[in-house]
This record gives sequence, C-alpha cells and structure tokens, in this order.
Amino acid sequence: MNDFDLASSLAIVLLAAACHASFQLSISMLTLLSGHALGRQTAHLRLMRLVGSFILGAGIMTVLLLSFIALILGVLLPAKTPLPVWAAYAGGVIGVGVSVWLFYFRREPGTTLWVPRSFARFLGDRAKATKNSAEAFGLGLTSIISELLFAFAPIAIAALVLVQLEPKWQLIGILLYAGVSLLPLLIVGILIGGGHKLSRIQQWREANKNFLQFVAGSGLIVLGAYIYVERVLATAIAAVTGGQS
Amino acid sequence: MTLTIDVVKRSGRRPSEAFDRNKLHRSLRAACLSVRTPEGEAESTANNVTDAVIVWLTAKPAVTSSDLRRIASAHLTRYHPEAAYFYQRHRTII
Repeated sequence: MNDFDLASSLAIVLLAAACHASFQLSISMLTLLSGHALGRQTAHLRLMRLVGSFILGAGIMTVLLLSFIALILGVLLPAKTPLPVWAAYAGGVIGVGVSVWLFYFRREPGTTLWVPRSFARFLGDRAKATKNSAEAFGLGLTSIISELLFAFAPIAIAALVLVQLEPKWQLIGILLYAGVSLLPLLIVGILIGGGHKLSRIQQWREANKNFLQFVAGSGLIVLGAYIYVERVLATAIAAVTGGQS
Repeated sequence: MTLTIDVVKRSGRRPSEAFDRNKLHRSLRAACLSVRTPEGEAESTANNVTDAVIVWLTAKPAVTSSDLRRIASAHLTRYHPEAAYFYQRHRTII
C-alpha cells in the first residue's frame, strides 16, 4: 500500500477526469452525428439509440484505455512508484497543458480542433455515414482514440495513481474517471434528447471555446504542479528531514 | 429549368461536376431539419433558397463549390438564421 492518502489519490483522479472532460472531439462528433441523423429525419427513439450507443462506446474505450495503461504500469513499476517517474509524469502533464493552451482549437471560425484536416474530414464523413447503433458505438470508441494525443496525459496520470490503490478503490477510481470524463457527452445527449437545437449547442461551444481551452490547459498544468509538489517535493523533503515536519 | 453549370470542387482535388438542384435542395433541407425545423417549413425554405441560388447562377458557366455554399448560406440566413449557422459551420465543427 502507498504512503499517499486515499482522498488525495481520488482527488487527482477526479481532476484528471475533469481535464479529460473538457476535451471536445467527442462532443464535436456527437454534434455532427446528431445533426446528420436529424437531417435524415431519424425517429426520436432511433436518434437516442445512436446517441446512447456513441456515449457507451466512448465510455467503454475510456475504461479500457485506463485499465490497460494501469495494467502496464502495474507490471512495469515497483509497488512504490519511484520519484523520477512521478517527476516525469508531472512534467509531461504540464507540457500537455501548455500544448492545449497553444494548439487545441485552431484560430479560425467554428470549433475546429488540432486534428489534421484530412482526418477531421474522415471523422465527419464517418459521422454522416453512421446510421445504426453498432456504427455509433464504433464511432464513440474512435472518438476517444482520436483524441489520445491530448487525452493520454490525464488517462496516464489517473492510471499511475490508481495502481497504488487497493483493488476495490481501483475499480471505484476507474468508474469515477469514466463517469466524470463522460459528463459533457451525457449533458449534450440529454439536451439532444430533450429537443434542444443543435445550433444553440454549437453556438455555445463556439462562443466559449477559448474558455474551454483555457480550462483544459490550466487544469492539466495545475494537476502536474500538484503531483510534483505532493508526490515529488513532499516525498523528497520527508526523506531529507527523516519524515519530521 | 435546366442549368448546365460546372461546379468546381473544393481545392480542385476532386473532378468538377454539373450543378444538381436536388443536391443543393437536399443539403439545405437537411440543415433546416438538423435544427428541428418542421418538415413543411424546411421544405419551403429549401425551395426558396434553391430558387434564389439558381437566379444567381444563371449565365455563369462555372462556379466553385465554396461560392455556391457561400451564396446559399447568405440566402438561407434571410429565411432561417439558425439553419444558416449550422449550414455554414458544418465543416468547422471538428
């Protein structure tokens, strides 16, 4: 068992999940998927099945990725994670946070993301071609993988924290992470189900994209700084002072 | 009304194609339906905008697809601003 208290570990998992939640690719794809489905006059129940399958796919891929990375870390790392690993993770998360500040949204109208244009067109075409639940589920899986360049940082930090916990808390942590990271998708899904106009949702996203970018980047930087202070500095100081403070 | 106008595709990578009134009408109608416009209103809005675009196209031998989209957006904004927003932003969501 680790030296860090459970509340601190779960707080890191929750903050990492909140940073993941502020990423926008899945929401963009859900907006496109719903727009095309409504444009085809898809029945409401069928539309909700598509939306539900998409969110389920995104959730399952999040859980799978988090579990997979935790498994790899559990195998590779000793029971007590070495300080250089924490320091490297903290640095990596801060670096990704700065990248989010600089590159996440393109500086052009709309909510165009960092995704290469040819790949964005491919995702848009796939969203347009999605007509049944299985395809929507696959699109949900793909949406999480496609954002891995940025989402890897919060997922990996959550995995590193989770492997230090007891199995029961690992499971709870994974579910907490998935639940929080999916909240925006669930909210958009509920709005679509409630009959809200996609144009209003998209207008809100476009009006607030700079804020979302700032929140996502700042969240990661705060997370990295917190990990560095709590897991690296505090441990190093405790080692030097013999645990007296 | 038959128009023989070439539509030059974006960035010129795909071959140009003949203007298709139904294709334009379908995309405008879908944009209206995407923002939960009733079917009848979507149909009439798409008809009005398509007719306006055809008036603009008359006597032009060729147009680019982005010009076509721009003019259609401008007319759609007059009839249905929310649908126009979604129509304009469609390619800039991801």
